[in-house]
Amino acid sequence: MTKRKRFWIWFFCLASVSAMLLFWAGVPLLQQHSLGVFGGIVALALLAELLLIRSPLRPEYTDRGLWFSVSTPIVIATILIYGWQFGVWLDATISLIAGLVTAQIKNTHPRWALVNTVQSVPSAGAVGLTVVALPGEPVNTVGLSTLLALVFALLAYMAVNTLLVSVTMSIVEGVRVPWVLGQTALSLPRDIALMTPISYLITAALATYGAVGLVGVLAPYLALRQAFVIGARQQELYHQTIRSLGFLVQRAHPYTGGHLQRVSQWARRVAERLGLPPERCELVYEAALLHDLGKTVLDERILNKPARLSPEEWREIKKHPQLGVEILGDTPFLSTILPWIAMHHERPDGTGYPFGLKGEQIPLEARIIAVVDAFDAMIGGEAPNQKRAHRRSMTLEEALAELERCAGTQFDEQVVRIFKQVVQEWQQQRAVGASV
Amino acid sequence: MEGTWWAGLTAIGSLLALAYYAFVVAPARLHRWRCEGLRAFARLIELRTQGRYGNFELMTEMANAVALRLRLPLHERRRMELAIYLRDIGMVAIPYSTLNKQGALTHAERVLLNRHAEISASITEQIPGLWQVAPLVRMHHVVYREHPDAPLSAHILSALDDWLRIAQHADADAAAAVLKQGIGTRYHPLVVQAILDELQQRAVEGWSLLARSAALWL
Repeated sequence: MTKRKRFWIWFFCLASVSAMLLFWAGVPLLQQHSLGVFGGIVALALLAELLLIRSPLRPEYTDRGLWFSVSTPIVIATILIYGWQFGVWLDATISLIAGLVTAQIKNTHPRWALVNTVQSVPSAGAVGLTVVALPGEPVNTVGLSTLLALVFALLAYMAVNTLLVSVTMSIVEGVRVPWVLGQTALSLPRDIALMTPISYLITAALATYGAVGLVGVLAPYLALRQAFVIGARQQELYHQTIRSLGFLVQRAHPYTGGHLQRVSQWARRVAERLGLPPERCELVYEAALLHDLGKTVLDERILNKPARLSPEEWREIKKHPQLGVEILGDTPFLSTILPWIAMHHERPDGTGYPFGLKGEQIPLEARIIAVVDAFDAMIGGEAPNQKRAHRRSMTLEEALAELERCAGTQFDEQVVRIFKQVVQEWQQQRAVGASV
Repeated sequence: MEGTWWAGLTAIGSLLALAYYAFVVAPARLHRWRCEGLRAFARLIELRTQGRYGNFELMTEMANAVALRLRLPLHERRRMELAIYLRDIGMVAIPYSTLNKQGALTHAERVLLNRHAEISASITEQIPGLWQVAPLVRMHHVVYREHPDAPLSAHILSALDDWLRIAQHADADAAAAVLKQGIGTRYHPLVVQAILDELQQRAVEGWSLLARSAALWL
């Protein structure tokens, strides 16, 4: 089944569920509440929804990432005060209108407004179910019971929404659901901690003054948005630093450019296959991108020398893992990857450098980078200037055979076994792609 | 209404905490994060250029002290700190042999080396969110006589860069003498005065600290 077909099947299933929920909720809504209150809350919630925040998902997605707003607390508070029918319609209305406005401003396809709308309805419905299931009287006052109800409601909303968004993204981007879930769920505790007090205030304002009370909530709402903007900016800065350093390595020594990209992607895939947690796999990707950073400090005449290197020149080259660590030593948020950069030339038999460590003394992540780095160096590169100056490049089969020959001595056996599977799968996919 | 006071106080307290985090703590933390990331660039250049180790730490400390003396606002001090980390990043494009040449540079090598500020600025412009630092990076060797209207922070970087280079290779007195000679021509008079005042205060504090330590020991 093609990606497009999978997406439309998923969309129609979700849209059917959402339409049924909206119909079910719509009849009592018209009987119970005035359209004036609904209009007032929609206008303020729409404003919050339009103040979008961009959160980059991973380095390659610089222009895409996740987009989210802070309108969720208004929806949660509305469900608690006016009932789930009101909340479901509110979330659907604001998602659709704000989505269409955003599509117009940012020149994106309006179908994403529909996708967001059909994702929001079951999320708001889950909050309604949670509130109904809570013991005690219906929540329509402010107190400790309301606070607890809010926390459960937020949990329900975020859990269902994260799941639906992750499935959609995995279909659209062609990545695995657990990986996307891992990425999006990372910020859940922080989001809930930030949204709980604001949801509580909105509930109090709605319970006491009705829709007019929301006007008084606007200022703190902007503060909350600022907190999200800073959080997203921090994440962006992290990726920017890594990308810019990678760019420097590439600019200083063009022959390593394609090499770094390939090694990073292979290394992440091997880490995933070895069962490392998603955030660890991302760190392996980043470490692989920066593993040759120390070479930017070395003399280009040695790095680009076409002839065999002298023992003195080899001694210089062998300094690069530690130089990389020294460059990143003042950057605490990259401290996790430093040992992997320092040890990516260690060998299981103890003949590597700079420390001469053996077997399990070398971190698994460093062993992954070592295998992938050596493999890519053996196959050279695609363009003539990407080939290593002092060696003849091998074919894929020759390079894999060489890795197997050196498994257990120069390279980690388990990593070589997994890497071989990854390369073979890649070859099969490429062959299928070529035949299509 | 049940628990209205309690609810009101909790809400106001949470909001104050949230606003403090969003407008005070988080921007400061963001700046620190950015500096920690950019220190890697500065360290890379230091390691590539022999005899420069520890340069950017002292430069940052001195620039901040001088900027405080000249009452530069917080956002300008932060911009200047970022410029210190990025000012020589263009040196990656200059061959290692030129950068570390022992003897005198040829004319061609000198021209190439003088282009580093422009290259650094063009690299900085390519880093998203740092475009506002690029003009300062471009002007970090600004000459007062040619650009008296350049930002004060650029004049601080220019004077301190020269002072640090001379102080590392000769001695502190020689470096101070060069600054004094260049007042009104190469360097901004206010900046040189602030640097000299700061150096004098540090010398006094250093002596008094030494005297206090000696008194304690005795």
